[in-house]
Amino acid sequence: MIDDLCDGPCEEEIATAMFYCDFRDQQEQTTTNIIGAILKQLLVRGEVLEHVQQAYQKAKSEVGGRGLRLPDMVKMLKQAVAILPQVFICIDALDECPPKHLLELLRSIGDILRESQRTRVFLTGRPQVETEITESFITGITIPIVPRTHEIEIYLKHKLEMDPERRAMSVSLRTDILRIIPERISKMCVGASTAPISCMLLY
Amino acid sequence: MGNSNVNCNNVTTSNKNIVNFNKVIADENPEIMQWLSPLDPRRRHQDVRTDRLDGVGDWLLETNEFRGWRSNGGGADKAVLFCCGDPGVGKTYLR
Repeated sequence: MIDDLCDGPCEEEIATAMFYCDFRDQQEQTTTNIIGAILKQLLVRGEVLEHVQQAYQKAKSEVGGRGLRLPDMVKMLKQAVAILPQVFICIDALDECPPKHLLELLRSIGDILRESQRTRVFLTGRPQVETEITESFITGITIPIVPRTHEIEIYLKHKLEMDPERRAMSVSLRTDILRIIPERISKMCVGASTAPISCMLLY
Repeated sequence: MGNSNVNCNNVTTSNKNIVNFNKVIADENPEIMQWLSPLDPRRRHQDVRTDRLDGVGDWLLETNEFRGWRSNGGGADKAVLFCCGDPGVGKTYLR
């Protein structure tokens, strides 16, 4: 997604930041650290950096230095997006974010969006976090991601090409794999997507 | 400049209008960067880019919902786009 934003035509400067939630790194992936990681990627202009440098110097001058609290971090991120013409923030795998941090994170994003109408946020996650996301924002878009048949074929062909045990593969087995698996998965996905397709505008 | 930044700069310099979000600042201010967050999502992004297959997930970019979100046409009402799906459907690898 980030790459598409970067590659696509645009008439205005945009700044992008991404974050990948990871259940293996939950200890370190606190809301404050996630917002901080996003902010780091937006330090693309001198004015943005200045705000952060000032806060850093102030914190450093205090006895023993001072760590950042979430409100401080959100404030700095708000200052950054206010300066930049347009900001895209992409956060992947929200279901891997612990519930406590997820709600804080969504609330913080909501805070930022309220002050910057030009900011766009792209989120991905499993269906179990849909409720939290829709409750955190008033309107918005939810797009169900279902693999298309041709995508499954692309993936299978790639995997078959990369198979180190090529001699174990016969032409007929390869043909069957490329025919049957996309067919079966498509049927499964069609079955799964008979639930109403929820396209809901968020925030 | 560290290797991860070299790689990531390649991501962002393909369009002159895109702000080069990783540009040098991170390397000129390592203490501040560490103070802000110990996390560095750029490495993970590089892994995702490497593993992604061309042509997968492109359909999303053609949807009206995505176009409206990206073009900023809906203002604040269309600020958030949530792509929802089961494990393994390719959410992380959407182009």
